Amino acid sequence: MRERNIGKLSKKGTAVLLGSVLGLVSSGAVLANNTLVELSKSESNWVMQGKNYSADHFSTQTQINKDNVKDLRAAWSFSTGVLSGHEGAPLVIGDMMYIHSPFPNITFAINLNDPGRIVWEHKPQQDPAARAVACCDVVNRGLAYWPGDDKLPAMIVKSQLDGHVVALNAETGAVHWKVETADISVGQTQTQAPFVIKDLVIQGSSGAELGVRGYLSAFDIHTGEMVWRWYATGPDDEIGLANDFNKHNPHYGQKGLGLSTWEGDAWKIGGGTNWGWYAYDPDLEMFYYGSGNPAPWNETMRPGDNKWTMTIWGRDADTGLAKFGYQKTPHDEWDYAGVNVMMLSEQKDKDGKMRRLLTHPDRNGIIYTLDRETGDLVSADKMDDTANWVKHVDMQTGLPVRDPEYSTRMGHRSRDICPSAMGFHNQGMDSYDPDRQLFFLGLNHLCMDWEPFMLPYRAGQFFVGANVWSYPGPKGDRQQGIGSGQIKAYNAITGEFAWEKMEKFSIWGGTMATAGGLVFYGTLDGFIKARDSDNGDLLWKFKLPSGAIGHPMTYTHKGTQYVAINYGVGGWPAVGLVFDLNDPSAGLGAVGAFSELARYTQMGGGLMVFSLDGRSPYNDLSLGEYEM
Amino acid sequence: MKKLNVLAAAGSAALMLAMGTPAIAYDGTQCRAPGDCWQAKPGFPEKIEGSKYDPKHSEVELNKQTQAMNAMEERNRKRAENFKKTGTWNY
Repeated sequence: MRERNIGKLSKKGTAVLLGSVLGLVSSGAVLANNTLVELSKSESNWVMQGKNYSADHFSTQTQINKDNVKDLRAAWSFSTGVLSGHEGAPLVIGDMMYIHSPFPNITFAINLNDPGRIVWEHKPQQDPAARAVACCDVVNRGLAYWPGDDKLPAMIVKSQLDGHVVALNAETGAVHWKVETADISVGQTQTQAPFVIKDLVIQGSSGAELGVRGYLSAFDIHTGEMVWRWYATGPDDEIGLANDFNKHNPHYGQKGLGLSTWEGDAWKIGGGTNWGWYAYDPDLEMFYYGSGNPAPWNETMRPGDNKWTMTIWGRDADTGLAKFGYQKTPHDEWDYAGVNVMMLSEQKDKDGKMRRLLTHPDRNGIIYTLDRETGDLVSADKMDDTANWVKHVDMQTGLPVRDPEYSTRMGHRSRDICPSAMGFHNQGMDSYDPDRQLFFLGLNHLCMDWEPFMLPYRAGQFFVGANVWSYPGPKGDRQQGIGSGQIKAYNAITGEFAWEKMEKFSIWGGTMATAGGLVFYGTLDGFIKARDSDNGDLLWKFKLPSGAIGHPMTYTHKGTQYVAINYGVGGWPAVGLVFDLNDPSAGLGAVGAFSELARYTQMGGGLMVFSLDGRSPYNDLSLGEYEM
Repeated sequence: MKKLNVLAAAGSAALMLAMGTPAIAYDGTQCRAPGDCWQAKPGFPEKIEGSKYDPKHSEVELNKQTQAMNAMEERNRKRAENFKKTGTWNY
């Protein structure tokens, strides 16, 4: 199914448009929302990247557990035919699995009853120039699913590096609509997985390393119409601040700051893109995400706090208007782009009060927990005691208390800053086990030297203004170039870590937890591993064809629990390997940090699926065989 | 002596304001207003326009993103409008 198969609006769809669906809070939209919530509760499905709207990445399945995980074996595999970094994970809805690839952003539909046959494929024709605009390999973080209603069939929604967002008929792969959301000629790209709430497809933006002013858009799934678009910087009415914005925490700042915390027109090229993950609370009807780094990286070129880059946002699901915004790293000096995962939980705080919480492991080395209704800061703990740019977060003001020794500025090479620009936590989709009240964090252990330089802005060209040299943190082995990863189990209420383990390289893709007492994750050097949720003991591992930078997922099909993970090394940590770079400061500082990676893995691209004893549909040897 | 110290402090503060360079290192906690806590680092100006750190961006370049966004929005609007009228998505 190639792109030329442009779909037609059904008569039913036309009726919808002429009717009431343009009102976003129509009964149909609520129905779709509820359907997605219900689908996400079934362990037969994996309907969104975070597994559910809480993005807890936690499965209640126990067929695979700490007692038998040693018997996990490969069940089947699938090659996407594409090299480069494979971030994200496939989706499973009923009998169907939907697999995505990095650029050229191919989508495959596979029937789990016979995964050896491709049901449909969508391979878009894209401007190859998009590859040159992508900051950090040509990754894509996955697909989204809209469950359909009585007027329109279910849809798979995808983003393309060249800036398009496309809605595909989930059954046939036919294009329902295709919209432009980014223009590569001005440096904008799309790497983010779309996110579906009710009948809206929400899509962020990429390209802050090219000075892209971050924005967030919502499209009506029925018609492809843009419903709203809000920016990270600039005038309030372009940022989309609700009248009562930050009313619970006025000390975070309220109105006018999207302009007043910038000099002149710098906000127009000020970054704050959001290419990470979302969570949604259907009761509060609010969704959450993080805006990223200000542009350029050279802080001297942009005086001010640079609102509202680096912000945890809580926005209304229908209008997109912001109820709260908490800027974690005002006036960023280190590229601590805070687009990281938002995980929702319900827990008692230290005073015993049940709270609706949002926990966010930030790139700046701090893991934040907020009350997701008010934006109140509940806790802010260092994910590793080696984070040195900040002494602590003042819980009264919410401000990080910086250590000026690790500041950056023109004419100065700052040394041994921890974390590095890649963060102690990057794009990994992590997990929360509600039974153990533990967050399982796949981390980087990286520090850096940083030296800024001046450059003029040219639309569509890199606009970074800093040379960076990253290397393993103090707990790693800098001589050998290994020891750049950690995995930790964290309690957001006590602030304590139940356990922690070092890894040879960063855990870039994140973790997945199960009620079987297991934490799964992939490694850059090409393993998928399972650890004991209670103590971190390593219980199982398997060597993949290539390094993993996506997150594991799990589903049950016809009584068998499967665990799946994308393989395909790449992304920011492996740009040196992908593009054959050798200068340690190349790849925005990543090449030096991961120079040893090529000794362990090479490029590949696909999906591996595991089950106990390798049970699979192909235990029936006749399946898929040629029949006379 | 006390009076002299006050005068000296006032003079120093005035000088600092004139130069736009606070004597203390920037730790992010001295706020002008809620959400506005940035300070110039010692030796660096409050405003970079006209200073040696002025990147002198081109106004034409600065506005290209806005123009691109407006153009995309208009093209998308026409596509969706046509979709509603004809039931066919043309790209």
